[in-house]
Amino acid sequence: MSRDGRAGDGLRLKIEPLRCICCGLCETVCSLHRDSVITPMASSIILHVDDKANYFGLVLKTKSEGLLMARPEGVSSGQQASGSGGPGAKPILLREACDLCGGEVRCVKICPARCITVVD
Amino acid sequence: MYLRSNRVGIFDLSSNESSEQELGDEANWDRLSALYIADKLASEHGTDSLVLGTGVLTSSFVPAACAGIVRGSPGKNGDPRVMPLLGFAGVELKLSGFDFIVLKGASESPGYVWIRDGIVEFVESEEMKKKDSWARTDKIRADQGDNKIQVLSNGPWGDSVNPASQLVTDYWGGEDKSGLGADLGRKNLLAIAFRGMGELELSEPEGHLQDSMVLMAEHIQRLGKNEGLASYSKALEREDFKKLLHRNIACYGCPFPCRSFLKTSEPANEMKLVANEPGYLHYDIPALEKAFALGFDAMDATMALMKCARAGAEPVTVLSYAAELSAKVKMSSVAEVLSDLSKVSQGRAVGNFELSFDDRAQYRSCLGLGLCPRYWSKVGYDEAAVTPYGEAALGLSSHSK
Repeated sequence: MSRDGRAGDGLRLKIEPLRCICCGLCETVCSLHRDSVITPMASSIILHVDDKANYFGLVLKTKSEGLLMARPEGVSSGQQASGSGGPGAKPILLREACDLCGGEVRCVKICPARCITVVD
Repeated sequence: MYLRSNRVGIFDLSSNESSEQELGDEANWDRLSALYIADKLASEHGTDSLVLGTGVLTSSFVPAACAGIVRGSPGKNGDPRVMPLLGFAGVELKLSGFDFIVLKGASESPGYVWIRDGIVEFVESEEMKKKDSWARTDKIRADQGDNKIQVLSNGPWGDSVNPASQLVTDYWGGEDKSGLGADLGRKNLLAIAFRGMGELELSEPEGHLQDSMVLMAEHIQRLGKNEGLASYSKALEREDFKKLLHRNIACYGCPFPCRSFLKTSEPANEMKLVANEPGYLHYDIPALEKAFALGFDAMDATMALMKCARAGAEPVTVLSYAAELSAKVKMSSVAEVLSDLSKVSQGRAVGNFELSFDDRAQYRSCLGLGLCPRYWSKVGYDEAAVTPYGEAALGLSSHSK
């Protein structure tokens, strides 16, 4: 595993936002990896939800590509994040970048919609 | 204590004073039910208390561990009236720093209870009383600066203590089939808001996670293709419903979403954030079935349920009264019922999530643990099979399977 969040063989996370069902498991399992507790506050991946409009997607903090924003209308990277939600929530800029869990990527394993995959 | 904060927040609305008590370490699986604990707290603090709480498994990795509860005062038959808290409300409540909240007495002034970071406070708001349930959620989120705040919002029907009221969770109806809006109305409560930014420990985090993922994989294999809410009701297998369907959305931890968002004011396939209020999130099966039985199409059924949610009125009751007003029910007759609360003097709802189980004890067991009754009735709820997952996460046993 390299220090930029990619595995040595160049692996990275791919998100297909329209597959997302907004279950929130990726957020929680990421925090479990970080701090061994259940909370959405320590995750490198954040579920962004505008529930009144049923608009939801994921924001991933990476080491090599900045912020990966998987919005329903498309995926982009390197722009300012949204999705931390509120003054009390931990902003994504203060969170750790994804380290691919050291090889066995938990959000990929737990995602029931196969929205998150590891690609080369 | 694992999977619990071990704190009960008590707020006396009459005196505006808060206090706390420990939940107590009852390491007995039978006594971990949120419903059991809520009953116990109500008997301790007064049966007119409103008790909010979460199950021991709520927010865990067991599939569909999303549920909390709200327990109101007893109904006519003497049983407490209960609604499930689904979506992300159960999880946000559990991470708010409290396992249970007890709201006693009644406030002199209208306002809402605001719960987060282990704090319970009452926020006075005369202005909010003029608003419908949607506008109350909007205002609380704007005032507190956080879009992830969960709001149990009352509407004019609940304010006026109508037994056919319904509390809506954020914007959506379907969970409260017990008229709990009237309980808030009696307390001069316009809403209850909470946000979860805390954390919970697990006894065996890795074991719990691995076992839960195995269980979920087994479920996914058995469940087959997901059709959103139509997976749970044949009456929704309609072309007009499909035509308006935007996306299906899950509650926390659920691999088989049953909440279907229908767009009414923009094309269903619009994926950008354009309209502020583009449609309505359906998970109230009896209300939709009632609307379709009365001849509504998917658009009108959606509009009718949306209007009921905004008013804080229970839609099965409203539609039943509308049917009494005229042989051919139209949107105008729904509007007529909603505009005159004096027309409706009793609730007629038959339940929603309660109907998932034929056996009431099974329903209570499932909900009491913090599991979604609709999902678990679909995959086959078996308390004995679920128990090892919970016991291991709680440290009551060393191996979950």
